[in-house]
Amino acid sequence: MNLASIAVRNVGRNRVRALLTVLGVAIAIVAFVLLRTVVWSWTVAIEQSASDRIGIRHKVTMIMPLPLRYAEEIRQIPGMTAVAYANWFGAKDPRDENDFFATMAVEPDDILAVYDEVQVPPEQVEAWKQNRRGALVGDVLAKKKGWKVGDKVRLRGTIYPGDWEFEISGIYTASRATVDRSGFWFHWKYLNEALPPRQRDQIGWIVARVADPSRSAQLCRTIDEKFAERDIQTLSMSERALQASFMGMFSAVLDAIDLVSIVILAIMGLILGNTIAMGVRERTHEYGVLRAIGFMPKHILLSVLGEATAVGVVGGVLGLLLSYPLVERGLGRFLEENMGGMFPYFRIQPAVAGAALALTVLLALGAAAIPAYRAAKLNVVDSLRRVG
Amino acid sequence: MTQATNGTPMIRLEKVSKTFYRDKEALEVLKSIDLEIQEGAYEALMGPSGSGKSTLLNLIAGLDRPTSGKLTVAGADIGAMAEDQRARFRAANIGFVFQTYNLMPVLTARENVELPLLLAKLPADERRKRAEIALKVVGLEHRMDHLPRQLSGGQEQRVAIARAIVTDPKIIVADEPTGDLDRESANEILNLLERLNREFKKTIVMVTHDPAAAERAGTVRRLDKGNLV
Ligand SMILES: Nc1ncnc2c1ncn2[C@@H]1O[C@H](COP(=O)(O)OP(=O)(O)OP(=O)(O)O)[C@@H](O)[C@H]1O
Ligand SMILES: [Mg+2]
Repeated sequence: MNLASIAVRNVGRNRVRALLTVLGVAIAIVAFVLLRTVVWSWTVAIEQSASDRIGIRHKVTMIMPLPLRYAEEIRQIPGMTAVAYANWFGAKDPRDENDFFATMAVEPDDILAVYDEVQVPPEQVEAWKQNRRGALVGDVLAKKKGWKVGDKVRLRGTIYPGDWEFEISGIYTASRATVDRSGFWFHWKYLNEALPPRQRDQIGWIVARVADPSRSAQLCRTIDEKFAERDIQTLSMSERALQASFMGMFSAVLDAIDLVSIVILAIMGLILGNTIAMGVRERTHEYGVLRAIGFMPKHILLSVLGEATAVGVVGGVLGLLLSYPLVERGLGRFLEENMGGMFPYFRIQPAVAGAALALTVLLALGAAAIPAYRAAKLNVVDSLRRVG
Repeated sequence: MTQATNGTPMIRLEKVSKTFYRDKEALEVLKSIDLEIQEGAYEALMGPSGSGKSTLLNLIAGLDRPTSGKLTVAGADIGAMAEDQRARFRAANIGFVFQTYNLMPVLTARENVELPLLLAKLPADERRKRAEIALKVVGLEHRMDHLPRQLSGGQEQRVAIARAIVTDPKIIVADEPTGDLDRESANEILNLLERLNREFKKTIVMVTHDPAAAERAGTVRRLDKGNLV
């Protein structure tokens, strides 16, 4: 037995109040972890984005196509290591028209050279290259749809009408969160040859890899200048700049979420402070007895702070224990599978969990500071006279 | 009327006054008290409600400081001591017995008795041993692991007495220790206090309303409106 264990036992004095407070802390922690993970998961897309990749699109808008020969011309620019192009295909699974996944027409060799974080067994890559109707699909999508290598798949075109037949040649995964693992990639030639002549040889956008990431901004300018005098001009941007500009639109929202997560913790601190203050008030007489026996104000102070820390830690740990199944397994899996583009990687960071626990303890101590100080400063005779 | 005095004053008050201020209104509760209590004495303090008995006892116990006058207890000048010094003084010299027992409800009997020893930096097994000895003295060795709410009032007060003696203090102050007890339990407590005085040579100052309790003490003093009469 020591003062710390007495502090912990005092927590259990009023079971209902202790339980409600611990639950309150736990819920606040879950909310904090959730919001922080949203922020982190959004910004991680920027951090994870490759700095050696640049995207090139129509200057006016993403949805207007570029001529195919632009890709060949960009390939000639010194400093480029790989160039790939893609068309947005926008097909749907006729079995489930509401289910969104990215369908794109690409050149196998090029796309795999540019997105080197994409991982596919080599024999599947070979099979994909050999099969004109072959498709390479992300593992998350394959799992959701129950597709296996060799499966025949029929998709319904939206931009390019009609039913399109494919065969799953391979299933890819990615070593970084920069690639959507719910993608459906198929041969650009398969699409191009099926189109009426005047729609052929057009591409949606170009993605290039550069040898020296520090020169990517300069290369972007070189590219845009090269096409400046043509009918169709380009807009080039590094992948990171693209992500950042996309995130920029949400930065106010992210700041607000940040703020709300702090406000939640502050409210938690107030709840905790109130619980501690109530307990301290009820135990005034006991503190008087302890002081009479010879305990010092500092002992009382530490005992109240210890009590608050105990509540904070129990609530905090419970909150974290709840956060993992709720945030990671429940919501996280849902978001990764259904909104993988926006939340490529929705996981609780150890730093977020650590911060949650540390802030809880700090807030608990802060919230308990006033009641603890009051209890320590009580006049011994007065508190003994008070019948409690 | 037996007490183990040996002629040296353990407690000495010279013109001790205590005034409380409530909303700027002064209330002189003790008026220039002169008092000497010998080492080993067993004294009872009686008097009407509000006469200042508890206030006087609190001064002797080092819980409070006199407004004026000189107060010496166990050789220490209480009036000159700062808060922390008085806390150390109390831990070393005073055992408290209150009317309402004042045990910690979350601690077992043994733990309650151990409580004052936490200040003494003793190893845990030594604390435990001493607490058990003290509980044996009060005859509660079979109730050591009970919580206060599992004990009768008389038993609770005996635990409180064990807590008061576990540090082996020179002085025991008891403020109406039998006030909440039935006759039989009260007698047990009074027997115990008597034994502590005789066998263990504790100096005891006890405030009481109960003439039967006062009878057990070696000396009975009366306080009226802040004056010893
Ligand atoms: N801390 C205090 N502040 C203000 N007034 C006090 C304080 N302590 C005691 N008093 C007043 O001093 C007077 C004496 O109080 P005290 O508690 O010493 O009486 P008592 O003789 O012990 O009475 P009782 O038999 O009812 O316990 C009372 O009028 C009480 O209201
Ligand atoms: Mg009194």
